[in-house]
Amino acid sequence: MVKIPIELNFFAGGLRPMLNVILSFEDPKIFLPVKAIIDTGSPTTLIGVSDMLRMRLSSLQLRKLEGSQREVNIGGGKVYTVKVDDFRLRVGNFLDTKMSVQFPISGEVKSQPSLLGVDFLEKIKANFCFNPSAKESYLEIP
Amino acid sequence: MEQQQLVKRFEKDSEWFYKNVDKLRKLGYSEQFVAIKNAQPIASDKSIEVVIRKLDKNKEDPSFIFIEFVHPDGYVLLL
Repeated sequence: MVKIPIELNFFAGGLRPMLNVILSFEDPKIFLPVKAIIDTGSPTTLIGVSDMLRMRLSSLQLRKLEGSQREVNIGGGKVYTVKVDDFRLRVGNFLDTKMSVQFPISGEVKSQPSLLGVDFLEKIKANFCFNPSAKESYLEIP
Repeated sequence: MEQQQLVKRFEKDSEWFYKNVDKLRKLGYSEQFVAIKNAQPIASDKSIEVVIRKLDKNKEDPSFIFIEFVHPDGYVLLL
């Protein structure tokens, strides 16, 4: 088993487990480091609106990210997303995987952080430990 | 600067942000998006689009700059 340490940071009212992830995609070309929250309450992995804007994709490039569109409700706001398959997610030298992510195309919650959902934990077959009282968190992957 | 170094800097700046968010509030960045580079705020605004435009204007690549919203003290975000 490989143990991946998780940062714990106080953010927006609580201690959150966070992971540095590099997102990349072939066409359009995307290479973006993000700090994502591991959210076991979210079934899907979602790129935050501000992280999406950091990519500075043109409308032409955005049109290439076609997928099934849906409305996602987060913290009382709505984000409209497309599901993009084969997004590459890397965490240091620990893991390198490809999976579908929800990519925001518009939304009223611009401060929404990027989230690694249950689908991420399932994809990498992770055991997720989060012990707030001991301020300890890690992922174990096979 | 090489991509790997830019990623390392991004990660260090993100760590700095969470350790210094109270300090940023005291400096008047509450309810603003703040861009951090080398442990310093280099651009801020209530609009993320404006922050990115400011970075572009200063020839900074937003892809490798940590940007986060400074929530006011006591704010709770339910995910």
